[in-house]
Amino acid sequence: MITVTKTPDLHEFNLQTTVSANRLAGLWRMMQGFRLPYLGATVSIGISAAAKTSTYLLLKYFVDTYFVTDVRSVPLYLIALGFIGLAAVEGSFSFLSGRLAAFTAEGITRRLRNFLFDHIQHLTFSYHSKMQTGELIQRSTSDVDALRRFFADQAISVGRIILLFIINFAALLSLDVRLAFYSIIAIPVILLVSVYFFRKVAKAYEAYQEQEATLSTTLQENLSGVRVVKAFARQSYEIDKFEKDNWEKFVRGRNLLRIQAIFWPFSDLICGFQMLAGFLIGALMAINGQITVGTYIAYAGLVVWIIFPMRNLGRLIVQTSTGLVSYNRVAEILKQNREPLEEGDVQPTHPVKGKLEFEHVGFEYEPGERTLDDISFTCQPGQVIALLGSTGSGKTTLVNLLPRFFEYTDGRILLDDIELNRYPRKYLRQQIGIVEQEPFLFSRTIRENITYGLDREVTDEEVERAARAAAIHDVILTFQDGYRTLVGEKGVTLSGGQKQRVTIARSLLKNPRILIMDDSTSAVDTETEAEIRGALENLMVDRTTFIIAHRIQSIMNADLILVMDKGKIVQRGRHEELVAQDGIYRKIYTIQTRIEDELEKEISSAG
Amino acid sequence: MPADYFEEEEFQTQFSGKTFRRILTLVVPHIRWVIGFLITIALVSAMDAIFTYLSKQIIDQGISQHNAQVLIQILILYGSLLVLQAGGVFGFVYLAGILGERVRYDLRRKMFNHLQQLSLSYYSKTPVGWIMSRVTSDSERVSDLVTWGLVDSTWGFMNVLTSMVFMLIINWRLALVVLAVLPVMFYLAVEFRKRILYEYRNTRKMNSKIVGAFNENISGVRVVKALGRERENLKEFKVLTGEMYNHSFRAAWLSALFLPAVQLTAAIALGAIVWYGGYQAELGGMTIGGISAFVAYVTSMLWPIQDLARVFSDMQQAIASAERMFSLIDARPDIADRPKAIDPGTIRGDIIFDHVTFAYDNDEPVLEDFSLHVRRGETIALVGPTGGGKSTIVNLLCRFYEPKNGRIFIGGRDYTSLSQRAIQSRIGVVLQTPHLFSGNIRENIRYGRLDASDEEVVGAAQLVGAYDFIMRFPKGFDEEVGEGGNLLSVGQKQLISLARAVLATPEVFVMDEATSSVDTLTEALIQKGMENLLQRCTSFVIAHRLSTIKKANRILVIEHGHIAEMGTHQELLRIRGKYYQLYTKQFRHQMEEAFDPFTEVPQEPNPSYQQ
Repeated sequence: MITVTKTPDLHEFNLQTTVSANRLAGLWRMMQGFRLPYLGATVSIGISAAAKTSTYLLLKYFVDTYFVTDVRSVPLYLIALGFIGLAAVEGSFSFLSGRLAAFTAEGITRRLRNFLFDHIQHLTFSYHSKMQTGELIQRSTSDVDALRRFFADQAISVGRIILLFIINFAALLSLDVRLAFYSIIAIPVILLVSVYFFRKVAKAYEAYQEQEATLSTTLQENLSGVRVVKAFARQSYEIDKFEKDNWEKFVRGRNLLRIQAIFWPFSDLICGFQMLAGFLIGALMAINGQITVGTYIAYAGLVVWIIFPMRNLGRLIVQTSTGLVSYNRVAEILKQNREPLEEGDVQPTHPVKGKLEFEHVGFEYEPGERTLDDISFTCQPGQVIALLGSTGSGKTTLVNLLPRFFEYTDGRILLDDIELNRYPRKYLRQQIGIVEQEPFLFSRTIRENITYGLDREVTDEEVERAARAAAIHDVILTFQDGYRTLVGEKGVTLSGGQKQRVTIARSLLKNPRILIMDDSTSAVDTETEAEIRGALENLMVDRTTFIIAHRIQSIMNADLILVMDKGKIVQRGRHEELVAQDGIYRKIYTIQTRIEDELEKEISSAG
Repeated sequence: MPADYFEEEEFQTQFSGKTFRRILTLVVPHIRWVIGFLITIALVSAMDAIFTYLSKQIIDQGISQHNAQVLIQILILYGSLLVLQAGGVFGFVYLAGILGERVRYDLRRKMFNHLQQLSLSYYSKTPVGWIMSRVTSDSERVSDLVTWGLVDSTWGFMNVLTSMVFMLIINWRLALVVLAVLPVMFYLAVEFRKRILYEYRNTRKMNSKIVGAFNENISGVRVVKALGRERENLKEFKVLTGEMYNHSFRAAWLSALFLPAVQLTAAIALGAIVWYGGYQAELGGMTIGGISAFVAYVTSMLWPIQDLARVFSDMQQAIASAERMFSLIDARPDIADRPKAIDPGTIRGDIIFDHVTFAYDNDEPVLEDFSLHVRRGETIALVGPTGGGKSTIVNLLCRFYEPKNGRIFIGGRDYTSLSQRAIQSRIGVVLQTPHLFSGNIRENIRYGRLDASDEEVVGAAQLVGAYDFIMRFPKGFDEEVGEGGNLLSVGQKQLISLARAVLATPEVFVMDEATSSVDTLTEALIQKGMENLLQRCTSFVIAHRLSTIKKANRILVIEHGHIAEMGTHQELLRIRGKYYQLYTKQFRHQMEEAFDPFTEVPQEPNPSYQQ
């Protein structure tokens, strides 16, 4: 039964709507649904900062009442509790802020990861063939993590420093206006210096990272080419090569550290002397009686919180600006359009019969580049169509139109008398099975690979039956974990022919009405060729089958053979008809018979 | 070795004194630098405590006494110390930082050089990724421990120490209160760090799973679409991101709780100080400056504690890293030159396998009681099923492995009496999976003989029929091949690695499916070009291509580690055994390939088939 259900994720937030040319606006939109907690995080930071500031004000009060004037209207224990209480408030709100910020940042990131994953698997074939795998992975992981850091750390830290400044400066103003203004003279300088230095650091760091990548490549090539190194006894040459890269990394690391070694003491000095200047003025004012001792103490405590965090503000500004680049790279993927899987104005509930009509079908990848031209033929349910042609003749493109991996640009294709592009892609793909030339298996168990993509539970017996028919059951049993054996890096490596038979078993279980097979046995051991042929024949029974053929043997029984060249059909018919005609097909055929003659000659000459 | 041995283990190792001492020996050669930065960091740290004390003096001696003179003197001292401290900061960042880079450099070099000595058996047991992370991340972690780890712990320790001294001087009773909460703060800090680290590790693990999921889904997108598995995949992926969320959220909020919790402990001490200090003020035992100094000392006690806790918990990880690293450095090569190994200057002569038995690890023997006498200049073809032992014969011949039993003689000498270099530099090996290095084509060919002239490089390329395709590149021989040669096709890579071997002018030539991905026409060119070379050398050829096999002086059918059939092409066809079956099957297959029906003039079959 075919059940076409609605997209399950409609109620989820569509991140495509967050794409914006303005990066900050884009990030703001990305926060949708998390803005309240984020606001809470910011407010909490403010409260926490205010509590810290109040601690110093309380200290002022304490000193002035207990040590200077001896008024003591508030009992001592209350003041002591006040300090603890303020610390508790500061701590709890700082924690609350951290937790809310984490909730926001991790929540946004999770949503973004899920959306990207789903988005990418719904992007069109043409997009995937354009984009490099590594590039997509990089953007979905490293760049997403850069965005996470933006929300979790950079944005909130910038807010924290600014709030610290505002609240503490307000407190300073309340202590003494003139003193307050004297205390911030150097701040613009500190900011400029730190931005300048961190820009340099960012550049030096990038150079360092680049060299790190180079060094890894050298190392990796040496390790994976160890046989070559040994075969040519090139150990000392390799050692010299690595030494060069290794030394360069040391040199770049040293450069990076030199910048840091200058920046930190240099900025320490600026901040320190600004602070000292404040101490001097404040102390003189206290001596002259313009402010109380308590005020001076509070001032000396607060001023530190205005000056030193400014160095970090410079760092954050630089990091944020490089971090924003990641937004662009992620948005680049987000703004691509998905391939609508459910769209289509016929919603059949039964499997197709498998009758196909191609009427003057044409296809262009890029405008002007005609890959298929004027393809017309008809096939009845259950028939076998063979496509014969050289690489680039359009065979693969032709079959790619059937599951609507690509949309034909000319003419029309009718499936069971209804135009193909009226069927939903999802439905079509359920009806079509594909056995690839270079099968792709996932790093899962063999059983999971066989049942991959089935929307129903299958019993072990069913899986085994399919594996037997695909002539892979016996091979699987030789593995220690049988059907539970992992495929790939962490498990067994299957040969090309074994992989192909696993995918045949998969297709048998899927039981599609239309089958597309890339009949390539070139990658396969000669011993297993016969087994695969048998498995394929099992699979073809009762299905409309398209064979992309490389050899005549496998297509002699086809109902229709299409010989293709440069996107066009140059010959068509059954084997007998084509052999009777003059043309490419007969050439191939005669070659095959000649081969047998030659072999005969060869062997008899050996005696 | 269990399969999960190479998983990135969870290291909760015991504190190992031996490893720790060995780590310390890494910095022994640079001991002056270490002493240098330890002194400067100690200075910087002590200075911080002094500053707080000076602030107290400003209040007590300057403000309270209304003495501007003293105030200015104190501030001048303060300023001078500030400059001195800045010098100290420069000193330790520079010294420790650069020493750190230096130690990393040393470690990487040491490991790399050692890796060059290890035998192939080590590489077949150890995944490249495992070795890579020893050389890259573990070396960093260990060098960080001996530099920044030392810096942070010295700073933290000195800071606590000097602060305590000053507090004792100001008021010893209050100082004891602070001393009482210190262990609590430290304990809390360490416990938090441990939990946070644990979550971080989990996050990293989840992250690599997520990268893996992306990788598979993108490279397998065709299958995903064809089988319509999008929804299921998303469901599985959401489980991963959900777990990732849990771990990283927990790590984040634990981090957020960490400082406040430690701070609150400090605040309790602060409350006690205020209460007691205020009480003492009534008795006149505590100055204003004294109380404010205490407040400053206690509130800033948080930072050294935090640093000490970090070093303490990171240390366990670093020691685990060091242990893995040392295990690599301590690995001994299975095959090493014997004490009196010689290089006779040539290895020409007969090659004899004398009752050789070999097994990889402790598995079933791949080769059993194998004997073979190859005369100088002979070409031996090895055929037979995969896993039959063909490649093992080649591996033993090149001394990538040594026989478990029996002996191999080259040029009349047991080859274990020769140095590895003597053998390997004179055997030219071309493998089925060609491996090139980043760089251009010329450099890759010259790898065979480093002092070859440009003309000789070109000559080698012409000899193997690679010249034409190389010249079709815009930059010719200067064309970059990409990482691992991945900008070239397999066939092109095979030709270049063949040219590389030819350039080395070997005395023994070994080709293991060396031209399997080269088209038939080029194959014929290679045959012709190498005729001379093969006649001069003793050669071993593993191939599917019949033309290559037929030319051999002797053909060996290797099955289950034994010679099943041996003889010339004619002889073997005549007995109609395994070789006959193999040959006829391969013949059909190859002939079909040889004809490309879609070119206007079908290629004539390779002339070498039709002798």
